[in-house]
Amino acid sequence: MSIRLNPNLLPDLLAGIEQSQQNETTASQELASGRTVNEPSDNPAATAAIVYNHNQSSQDAQFLQNINTLQGRFQVADSTLSDVVQSLTQALSLGTEGANGTMSTSDQQAIAAQVQGLLTQVTGLANTTYQGAYLFGGTDVTAQPFSVDATTGAVTYAGNSNTTSVELSNGNSIAANVPGDQLFLNSNGSVLGSLQDLYTALTTGNNISNAVTEVSNAVNELNIQRVTYGNALDQINTSESYLNQDQINLAQQENDLESADITQVATDFAQAQLANQAAISATSQILNQKNLLDYLV
Amino acid sequence: MGSLTASLNTALSSMLAQQGAIDTATNNIANVDTPGYSQQVANLEEAPTIQEGDLTYGTGAQIASVTSLRDAVLDVRINQETAQQGQLNAFISSGQQVQALFNETSGTGLQSSLTAFFNSFSELSADPSDSTTRQNVLTAAQNLTAEFNQTSNNLATLQSNADLSVQQSVSQVNSLTSQIAQVNQEVVEAQENGQNPGPAEDQRQQLINQLSNYIGVSETDASDGTLTLSTANGSALVVGSQSFNLTTQTNANGCQDIYSNGQDITSQISGGSLAGNIQVRDQEIPALQNSLDTLAYNLTTAVNQQNQAGYDLNGNPGGDIFTPLTQVPGAAANMGVTMTDPDLIAASGTAGAGNSGDNTNANALYALQNSNLVDGQTPISYYSDMVFQIGNDVSTAQTNEQAGTQVLQQLQNLQGGVSGVDINQQAADLVQFQNAYQASAQVVTIINSLLETTIDMMDTATT
Repeated sequence: MSIRLNPNLLPDLLAGIEQSQQNETTASQELASGRTVNEPSDNPAATAAIVYNHNQSSQDAQFLQNINTLQGRFQVADSTLSDVVQSLTQALSLGTEGANGTMSTSDQQAIAAQVQGLLTQVTGLANTTYQGAYLFGGTDVTAQPFSVDATTGAVTYAGNSNTTSVELSNGNSIAANVPGDQLFLNSNGSVLGSLQDLYTALTTGNNISNAVTEVSNAVNELNIQRVTYGNALDQINTSESYLNQDQINLAQQENDLESADITQVATDFAQAQLANQAAISATSQILNQKNLLDYLV
Repeated sequence: MGSLTASLNTALSSMLAQQGAIDTATNNIANVDTPGYSQQVANLEEAPTIQEGDLTYGTGAQIASVTSLRDAVLDVRINQETAQQGQLNAFISSGQQVQALFNETSGTGLQSSLTAFFNSFSELSADPSDSTTRQNVLTAAQNLTAEFNQTSNNLATLQSNADLSVQQSVSQVNSLTSQIAQVNQEVVEAQENGQNPGPAEDQRQQLINQLSNYIGVSETDASDGTLTLSTANGSALVVGSQSFNLTTQTNANGCQDIYSNGQDITSQISGGSLAGNIQVRDQEIPALQNSLDTLAYNLTTAVNQQNQAGYDLNGNPGGDIFTPLTQVPGAAANMGVTMTDPDLIAASGTAGAGNSGDNTNANALYALQNSNLVDGQTPISYYSDMVFQIGNDVSTAQTNEQAGTQVLQQLQNLQGGVSGVDINQQAADLVQFQNAYQASAQVVTIINSLLETTIDMMDTATT
């Protein structure tokens, strides 16, 4: 004799309906939201990966914001130094003019006055601020770095020689400043010192050509130092495109982690729907099935 | 030698026996949808014979007993599986609420404020003298603190909810065990009176199955027909007609420990919603709370130390950003920001005034996010592991629950195969009993006519 089957088929049938309904709901939710991972238990590993993903993406956004800040600062610094080079070039031609032996003393004095004007102008440029912070004071950004003694004309530097670096992307840092003394009082060619010397030479009429050479050296040195800012701007651009690309990659990765495979889910949905209809139809047939008693009457 | 009267009695006994069998079938059909009902069978037997000389005469048929068809082993398996499902369901239900606190897929959790906090140091590094940037660090620290405090509080709330469920389960267990003890007595009485103990056993199985939803029990048959129930560790719940209540007692953590006969059995309970809620209350949530505390403690300590290593906007040595925490337990709940003046953030690595643009220490503070400061892991990787852990625990329970549902369904089908009422079978039985009844009735008619013939014979003799 075969094993007696459970005469009550309803629990199985109802469980079948419930299961197919559950599958249908899950699939339709995934279709509507486009996501398969809605809570950690849906896919613990993917959720843990999402933590890293969001962390990285948010870091990138901060780096991009930093890049924005630095870009503005570096551009102002670079164009300020470009103005300084222009002033020096002007001083150079004034010096060359003053070195001409045929020039009268009063003409030399007039040129000296022009050089003094340039000195004041360059000192002003050396004290440039960006968003309230001095650009060329080393790490001392709150005190005015350069001042010229009104009577002696001597230049003093109140800043320091410290440099800073800022991270542009993970593990990739950039020099964020060139100290003022390195730019304007460099021993290989001092911008402010040479202008000061040129002024003195023109006023006294001595060593004018030496002073002109000094200014020329200062231009060369400043152009060397300026390269730091130019390079930094290039590096920033490279980092910016890297970060933008990284954010795209991260968004893609997040999508891969969370998103539903629409083709798959649509198929699942159709299958669940079919199964549900079949289960309901089977149940209704079983419920209406005649039994032996119906035939005995 | 048999007599006509004896034959009449024999036919009558058959009619009574068939009628009893018809009653039983009718009762089976009536209870086809009654939960827990086991089909009953009228066991017919030959009535005692009588001996006359060398001859043995039958005296008809009678019902020896009515028994309920059941498989005690299946009952036990179903109860065990029910207890397992009860535990998993309770765990999943609470676990889902716990994991909702760390649902990073929808942006809920600590990641965003944790990242934002470190990002504020990155921003500070790019512009260390800016007052807005400095204020942003303190704001981010406050947001992070609020997130830790809130998550810790939410975990505590879920823990006390689980505790409440534990207490409710205990009172359900006590109510059910006292009912089972009473039904145990009814089984004994039915047996003593020679009645079918089946209906009482049906009821008892129903009650034990309900009990299994709340707590896993082991069942042993006592010789008198009663069932002895005990918890997994052997603490008695029901012995004969006596039940033993579980009691609760508040422990050091403010949760209810469960006692049986004066013994703390909290950690030994297995199966049922009781075990599921205890698992969430005493293991899952405390583990997460401890991780959260460890993260809070190590993070605040490391940040404070690093800030102390630098110099503030005025060039003075840095102090604490976070309220210093003395111990790991409660760290997440007690986390706070003590610094109020953004100038005191130590972005600089150089002592003395005139270093407002120095970002050396801001860089070092930012670098903390990549240093293994929490149990050998970076803060974000430690947190990510926490998220994985709770997600994985719930997911595993869900998988087991689905498998268990299949098993339970199968067991219930097997049980239905033994105990379920089949209308078709009962109808066939009815027809069979009806035919036998009709045949016996016909026999009565025949004997009646034989008696009449005999009486007529006597009439003829006298006239």
